[in-house]
Amino acid sequence: MTANIGILSYGIYIPYYRLKTAEIAHVWGKKSEDITSSLGISEKSVAAFDEDSVTLAFEAASDALIRGNISPSDIQAILVGSESHPYAVNPTSTIVGEFLGVSSKYLAMDLEFACKAGTSAMIAVAGLISSKLINTGLIIGSDCAQAKPHDILEYSASSAACAYILSDNSSDNLAQILEVTSVSSDTPDFWRRDGVRFPSHGGRFTGEPAYFYHVELAARYLLEKSGLKPSDFKYCVFHMPNGKFPRLVAKRLGFTESQQRPSLIVDSIGNPYSASSLLGLSAVLDIAQKGDLVFVVSYGSGAGSDGLVIKVNKNPLKSARNFNLRVLQKKYISYIDYLKFATRI
Amino acid sequence: MLSPVKIWRNQKKIRSLLNKNGEILSFTKVYVPPAGFEAQAPYVVAVAKLDDKTRIIAQLVEWEDQDLKIGKKVHTILRRTKDPGIEGIIPYGIKLKPLD
Amino acid sequence: MNVSILAGATTKFGELWSASPRRMVREVVDLVRAQSGLSLAKIDGIFVGNMLSSSLGNQDHLGAFFAEELGLNVPAVKVEAACASVGMAVHLAFLSVLSGRYKNVLVIGIEKMTDFKPETVNNALMGAGSDPEREAGATFPALYALIARAHMEKYGTREMEMAQVSVKNHYHASLNSHAQFTRLITLEDVLKSPLVASPLKILDCSPLTDGAAALILSSANDKKGVSFVASAVATDTLGLSQRQDLTSLKAARLASRQAYTQAKVTPNDIDVAEVHDCFTIAEIIAMEDLGFFKKGEAAAAIFAKKTWLGSGRPVVNTSGGLKAAGHPVGATGVKQVVEIFNQLTAKAGKKQVKNARIGLTHNVGGSGATCVIHILKRN
Repeated sequence: MTANIGILSYGIYIPYYRLKTAEIAHVWGKKSEDITSSLGISEKSVAAFDEDSVTLAFEAASDALIRGNISPSDIQAILVGSESHPYAVNPTSTIVGEFLGVSSKYLAMDLEFACKAGTSAMIAVAGLISSKLINTGLIIGSDCAQAKPHDILEYSASSAACAYILSDNSSDNLAQILEVTSVSSDTPDFWRRDGVRFPSHGGRFTGEPAYFYHVELAARYLLEKSGLKPSDFKYCVFHMPNGKFPRLVAKRLGFTESQQRPSLIVDSIGNPYSASSLLGLSAVLDIAQKGDLVFVVSYGSGAGSDGLVIKVNKNPLKSARNFNLRVLQKKYISYIDYLKFATRI
Repeated sequence: MLSPVKIWRNQKKIRSLLNKNGEILSFTKVYVPPAGFEAQAPYVVAVAKLDDKTRIIAQLVEWEDQDLKIGKKVHTILRRTKDPGIEGIIPYGIKLKPLD
Repeated sequence: MNVSILAGATTKFGELWSASPRRMVREVVDLVRAQSGLSLAKIDGIFVGNMLSSSLGNQDHLGAFFAEELGLNVPAVKVEAACASVGMAVHLAFLSVLSGRYKNVLVIGIEKMTDFKPETVNNALMGAGSDPEREAGATFPALYALIARAHMEKYGTREMEMAQVSVKNHYHASLNSHAQFTRLITLEDVLKSPLVASPLKILDCSPLTDGAAALILSSANDKKGVSFVASAVATDTLGLSQRQDLTSLKAARLASRQAYTQAKVTPNDIDVAEVHDCFTIAEIIAMEDLGFFKKGEAAAAIFAKKTWLGSGRPVVNTSGGLKAAGHPVGATGVKQVVEIFNQLTAKAGKKQVKNARIGLTHNVGGSGATCVIHILKRN
């Protein structure tokens, strides 16, 4: 990368409520151990009836501004990636910007690319900074995912948001973006038609030809472009549609369990779509030391993968706002409450 | 359908109340909601005094029974407030969450 | 100059499905015409109290609406101050007679609350509150519940003491042929009734009611009649959260102080009072705001029957109050004056307070944003 672009701050938001795999399985007459062993998910985060991708994005972005002690007036771009923007027309990014108190001199844009809209937003803002069109930008991956009753996605589709503030301030940045790749194709593995409430998918088609093909392609491209090998990295982060896929792809690519373990947010909250890889990265940044290299490859159905090599420039500050502590603030709900919440106001 | 102009005019007021700490002055659990709030009942409405002495009335969310007491510390958050119906602009506003 | 009451009447209060607002108003106007012997041609102006005609019935311009109904071309206007609408109409009527410009003035209070589902009506009633209150999903029971809890925290007021207010008012209403509810209830009935907004239960709350009431005010010298010795109004913040003290209505304290000064009386001089018990806690707080009892002492006093017919003084809410007589919001303020008028002219029947000479009415709008106090004296 030509310019020195990196992460100045990050913030997260995880909804309070959790629904256990066991609770869902019980409703449909399935054995919870069967689901947990095949999907690798035991509980997921559930947004309340009065939350949506806008409120989640706002809370994550507020967290990033507070943690980095950054003034909202410094933000010159806001890009929000989601597959559950509350409006088909009326940008999430400006609603969030208004509540954050940014000035009016900023570029706002909403993105959609299934679960990789957040990492794509990161690449776009890195590009804006690199071209010197801006020097500080905010990206957010935010989703309140919904799934059809009885569909396998019901166990994994969850809600959360993760925000990053990128800048060209190399002395203040916590980490630097060293390399970026992206691969794309037209692969209809998972989709949602305009005006339809729940997404549809191609079943097992979402595996090898979709997730694995694109993640492995982007990963190998990233390793080639950066001239690095898996053992050069301290940590790796892959998109987590369930507990199984990311573990398998990491193994195939030559990454170890200990490199991947801190990023596996799917184990505690399921798959929050556009926030998945971004939250995985945040959990890593919570503990990564100065000099550590982090390998990130996301996946978005439709399909494509974004790859990033990130180098950590500062030791982490222990914070009550870190993922591992925040995720403990939770309350379990019943399937009935889950249905009640789904009737969003 | 709620007026988009009124929602827009209200935004500045909301922004100035976000991310503030305060404490509960009084609270009630509403079992009989007015039209538009049926699906949310029962819910808690509280009067709170913020640290800068501003007073507000808002719903309290994500509470446990032990949080329902006068003097409990709370924090303001952004949430959807009223049902916008199928096609209306979504009103966002202030709600309260107990601080641990 | 003395402003006196020539006549006062109400319809029965209740769920009056077949009674239209026009019919109810014609009924009470016929009654006051007959009572006073005054022909409508002698009426110089009409003040109409009503809250919900616009938001529920899409009907504004009620002054002209009812002037037409009565076949008159005199000045007529709707006065709105939430649940104190018609108390305020009485105040304006009083001022208009006091000015000397009008000699005889008709005040009409009218409200129709059963044409729509309760959820819709409760939503419309929140027009009396503030936008943040509406946005929080508050209802009037919720607002007074917030007041109740603060009062309980500060003074140790108990749910049982609030319940007793309801028991008293039902007892009084059992003697009132025009009341919505005439059955007696017990403390246990109240305490066991379903929660509406904690700690208030359904029997702590006044009902949704249809009703009309009317008064004729006049500057005509009436040596045997009843006149106004005070008519005072005060306002406070629209929203409850903006009040300095959740356990007292400042508007009631200010208006009552003004009223006692105007009438040159003290709370001790009041024999009988109609206070705004939209919720049981409201009566307890009213008794404190009006100076009948010290802060924190009214609940116990009411529990000990200090304001009951037969044992107390002042006797409060012989009509049954809002709770048991019913609360057609646009008519209550006049109903209260009519009850005091009947008490002072010894026409209160089974609920007569012996030797009632001075009476007080206390009508509140919203959660205390407006308070209208009248003091009436037998001439």
